[in-house]
Amino acid sequence: MSVMWSEDFVEEYNPYKTYPYPPPGIAPEYEVHTGDPRQDMEYERQYQQQQTFIIPEHIKLFLTYFRKCIAEQSVYGIQDAYENGFNKLTDRFFKTNPWPDADVVAPIVGHDHTFLILYKELYFRHIYARVPSGPTLEQRFESYYNYCNLFNYILNADRPAPLELPNQWLWDIIDEFIYQFQSFSIYRCKLNKKPPTEIDHLRAHPKIWNVHSVLNVLHSLVEKSSINRQLEVYTNGGDPDSVAGEFGQLSLYKMLGYFSLIGLLRLHSLLGDYYQALKVLENIDFNKKNMYSRVPACQITTFYYVGFAYMMMRRYQDAIRTFSNILLYIQRTKQMFQTKAQMYDQITKMNDKMYTLLAICLVLHPIRIDESVHSQLREKFADKMLRMQKGDIAEFEANFGFACPKFLSPVPPNYDTTLSITDFHKEPFQLQLKVFLEEVSQQIHIPTIRSYLKLYTTLPISKLATFMDINEDELRTHLMCFKHKMKNVVWTKGTSGLEGEFQSASEVDFYIDRDMIHIADTKVARRYGDFFIRQIHKFEEITKSLKSLNA
Amino acid sequence: MAEAMRANVASLLKGIDRYNPENLSTLERYVDMQARENTYDLEANLAVLKLYQFNPGYYQTNVTAQILLKALTNLPHSDFTLCKCLIDTVRQEELPTKMVMKLANRLEMCQFQDFWIDLRNDPDLTMGIMGFEDHIRKFVCHVVAATYQTIPKDTLIQLLGGIPDSQVKQWINKYGWKLIDDETVFITNQEENIKTKNITEKITFDSVAAIMAAHR
Repeated sequence: MSVMWSEDFVEEYNPYKTYPYPPPGIAPEYEVHTGDPRQDMEYERQYQQQQTFIIPEHIKLFLTYFRKCIAEQSVYGIQDAYENGFNKLTDRFFKTNPWPDADVVAPIVGHDHTFLILYKELYFRHIYARVPSGPTLEQRFESYYNYCNLFNYILNADRPAPLELPNQWLWDIIDEFIYQFQSFSIYRCKLNKKPPTEIDHLRAHPKIWNVHSVLNVLHSLVEKSSINRQLEVYTNGGDPDSVAGEFGQLSLYKMLGYFSLIGLLRLHSLLGDYYQALKVLENIDFNKKNMYSRVPACQITTFYYVGFAYMMMRRYQDAIRTFSNILLYIQRTKQMFQTKAQMYDQITKMNDKMYTLLAICLVLHPIRIDESVHSQLREKFADKMLRMQKGDIAEFEANFGFACPKFLSPVPPNYDTTLSITDFHKEPFQLQLKVFLEEVSQQIHIPTIRSYLKLYTTLPISKLATFMDINEDELRTHLMCFKHKMKNVVWTKGTSGLEGEFQSASEVDFYIDRDMIHIADTKVARRYGDFFIRQIHKFEEITKSLKSLNA
Repeated sequence: MAEAMRANVASLLKGIDRYNPENLSTLERYVDMQARENTYDLEANLAVLKLYQFNPGYYQTNVTAQILLKALTNLPHSDFTLCKCLIDTVRQEELPTKMVMKLANRLEMCQFQDFWIDLRNDPDLTMGIMGFEDHIRKFVCHVVAATYQTIPKDTLIQLLGGIPDSQVKQWINKYGWKLIDDETVFITNQEENIKTKNITEKITFDSVAAIMAAHR
C-alpha cells in the first residue's frame, strides 16, 4: 500500500476549503456575533434557562439557508454550511448544550422531511460529542430511529434518492453510525449504575442498535451501490460506471458503498474478527490512486484497522508497512488540519495510537522503516520500546490498552445475572488483550536471543545456552521458535490483503549447522541523500525569505 | 463431496446471510466433514465461531474444539489466533478447549517434544481429526527447514514425535533432505539464503534531477 494518493488529495482538498463563504448574494447574516464576550455569555445563560426556546434570528437564517442549499443541491453551499457554518454556530451558542429540537426547527424549514432527518443526524451527533452528560437512553433510541429513516430513504426507493452530500458528510454518517452502535453496546453492559426502569426499557427493545441491523445497513449499502463490482472493474482498468447500475453511478450511493466497506472493516475489527475485516476490503487496490477516498479521516481509519488486524494476525511486516505509510502521510499533511480543531484532535489521537502500535510491532519484528517515521519513534517511544524489548509484559499491556480499538460485545448482557459483574463491558477487551499477551509471551525470549546473536558471526549452541542460563535442548527450542515467529506471511501482490507468502525480513538471521549457530546480520550504511535534500529545501526557503525582506 | 460442500457453503456465507443462525447446523456438519475427510475451510469455520458469538445459546464446545484442532493443522499460518479472538474467555477455560489451547501453545513455542507427550497423554482429543499428526509433522518440518543446515537424526526423530525409522526416511525424502551419515541429516545449504547484507544508499540521477533543475 503506497501513499500515492496523498499528493493528489492535497490538490483536491484545498480549493473547497478556501471557497468564499457565504457565497455572494444569497448570504444570510447569521454572523451576528456581538463581539462582546459578556453579552454572548449572557445570551447563553438565558438560552439555558428558557423552557420554550425561541430560536434566534440568525440561527433561523442559517437553517433556512442550509435547507435551501440541500434542496437546490448546491454541493459547495452544503459543504460550507456543514463544515463551517454549523461548527461556528456550535462554538458560539451550543458549546455544551444541544441544538434546538427538530420539532422546533420543523416550521422554520417548511417541515422539509429530508432536511429534518439530516438535521437530526447533526443534532444527535452533537449531543454525543459535546453535551457533557452524554445522550440519554431516549436520545440513543431516537438517534437510532433517525438513522433508520435516513437509510430507508436512501435504500428503499425504486429510484435513486435525489440527494447529493459532500463526501466528508457521507463518511461522517457511516463513521458516526458505527460509533453510536459501539457507544450503545458499551453503555448497555454497564448495568450497575442503571435504575431498574432503564434496564426494563433496554430489555423491552432488543432490536434497537442490534448488531444485525447495523450489519444489515452496511451490507445493503454495499449491495445497492454495486461497489465491489465497481472496484473490481476499476482495478482492472475499466470504467466503474459500466457496472455501477442506476444507483451506483451516483456519488451518494457510490461513496456510501465505499465507506460502508470501511465501516465493515471497523465493525468486524471491533468484534475481533480480523479475517472478515480484511476480507471485506479485498477489492480495494491500495497501490493504485484511489479515486474513492479523498476523505482523510476515512484513509486514516482504514489504515489503522488494517494495520491492527495485521498485527493481531502476526503479520508484523504488513502491519509495519501499513502504519508507516499512513504516519508518513499524516506527517506530511498535518498542517492542513490545523484550522479544524476537532478533526486535528482526532487525527493527533489516531497518530499517537498508531505510533504506539508501530512501536509494539517493531519490538516484535525489528525491520528498517522510513527514516522520518523512525526518528519520530525514537524521540517519543525509545523508553517504551526498551522496556518491551526487556520483556516487560506490563508495558506491552499498557501500550495495547492505549492503542487498541474499543472492542465490543455483539450481544446484550444477561440483564438478570450480570448486575453483580461490574466489568462486563470490558470482557471483549480482556479477550483481545489475552490473545495478544499470549502471543507476546510465546515470543518473549526472542529479543534476548537476538541481542546476543548480534554480537557474533558464529556462536556455539553450548556457549549461548550458558549465556542464557538454560540447557541446550531448551535453547534449540527457543531458536526454532525465533525462526517460526520471524517468518510471517507478507503481502506481495493483488488486491486482497489476506493473500501473501512466507517471508523473513529479520535484521538478524541465523541457521544451525551441527552445534554451531551461524549468524547473518544486516549492516546499514548511513544515508545522506534525504538529509542533503532537506537541507537544500531549507536553504532555498531561507534565501526566498531573505529576498522578500530586501524587496 | 468436499468440493461440492465447499461451494454450497460459500454461497451460504454471501452477504448478510452469513449471520443467519439457521445455517448453523449445515456449517457444523461441514466442520465435522472437514475433520473426517481431511479438508479445511477456515472461512466457514470462522463463520461458525461468529454465529456462536452472536448467538451464545447455540454454542457447542465440541464443535469449537474441532475447529481449533483443524486450525492447528494449518500451522504455520496464524489461523488458531484468528479463531481464539472469537471465543469467549470463559469458554476457553472449558474442557476440551482448554487442552487444545495448551497444545497450541506448545506448538507456537516449538516445544515439539512436550507437545507429543501431551498428545500421547490424551489420545482421544485428536482422534476424530483425520491426518492430524502428519499435519503437525509438516509444520515441524517447516520449522526445521528454516532453522537447520544439518540436524542430528535423533533430534529430528524426537521433533517428529518418535516415529519409526522407515517413516523418518519418508519425511526426509519428501523434503529432499539427505542422510549424510547414520547420525546426521543434511537439510539445505542455508549459507546461500542467510548471509550478512550490507545496505548502502544508492542515489539515482532521476531522484535528484528535479531538485537540481529547480536550484540552478
